[in-house]
Amino acid sequence: MSKPNFDDYLNESLNTLNKEIPPKKGLWTGVERAITNNKPASKNAVIWPKLTAIAACTVAGLIAINTFVITPEPQPAVAISDYFSAKKNILLVEYKNEEALTTNWQMQLQELEEAEQAIKQVLENEPQNQALLTMLAQIYQQQLDLINKVHAPRWQHI
Amino acid sequence: MLHVKPEQTPLCEATLIERVQSGDQVAYATLYELHIKRVYGLCLRLLADQAHAEDAAQEVFVQIWHKIAQFDGRSQFSTWLYSVASNVAINYLRKQKNWLQKVVNIEHSGMDEQSANDCDGLNGLDKLIVRLPERARMVFVLFAIEGYRHEEIAEQLGMAVGSSKSQYHRARQLLQEWYENE
Repeated sequence: MSKPNFDDYLNESLNTLNKEIPPKKGLWTGVERAITNNKPASKNAVIWPKLTAIAACTVAGLIAINTFVITPEPQPAVAISDYFSAKKNILLVEYKNEEALTTNWQMQLQELEEAEQAIKQVLENEPQNQALLTMLAQIYQQQLDLINKVHAPRWQHI
Repeated sequence: MLHVKPEQTPLCEATLIERVQSGDQVAYATLYELHIKRVYGLCLRLLADQAHAEDAAQEVFVQIWHKIAQFDGRSQFSTWLYSVASNVAINYLRKQKNWLQKVVNIEHSGMDEQSANDCDGLNGLDKLIVRLPERARMVFVLFAIEGYRHEEIAEQLGMAVGSSKSQYHRARQLLQEWYENE
């Protein structure tokens, strides 16, 4: 018997899908433990957390303005750079005395470092650009992969 | 050891909710029994991980206990409960990510084929849904199963409406590919 086409299968499956799935283990005990001795907030009490939250947010906002003017928030690109540079340095030290599989790996690494610098330059103007941050992380990852690959190759089983 | 058991006699949901709002844990255990399977199902489909779905489902019922005073009965309780559940699951996934995944917006992949096949309670389409990558899976579950509009999904997931639509399209393509290769 042939399979129904995908649209029919999908419609049929969605129409007959059982939204209920029983959990494998009982979860009530955990819930009960968390709520015991914790009465739900009464309707009248609901307003107070809101007022407190508004007051807290206002204070936090004022503190934040003061803090960030004095010490600006570290940029994501800087955090990525710090993270990967540390990893890269560890690898380079680790493989310092080991012979590399290829002779031109340092040239390849240099090309990747140039790409890294180019992305960092663009990021100076757009520090929150997700696509650029992803590219920067990928370039760093390629550097780590390259260092690993030329020093500790993994042979494939045939 | 705590032993709150659900009510043995059926009560209408509105009465149960009133009792829960006044701090009745027995009534809450009954309400839990009525909805846990649906809440867990939603969490499992959104998170594609049994252990995470269990944690998130528990978190949903803890949050509902604390927020129940805010429920004014103008909408259906189940609608309110499931919207809290989807928010908890989405936030749960965000919390699971390390700082690097957050910065570069790396998404979780779904379950592998073997885990999906071995996962209790899943069959047919569900086994394919939990294999979808995170964003495509969330959009597909919220749109196709839970019936949210793309505008609502975009707001919940913090993405553009167009992205929600394209993730849905991506999910359908992947599901079709896997279905045809099965």
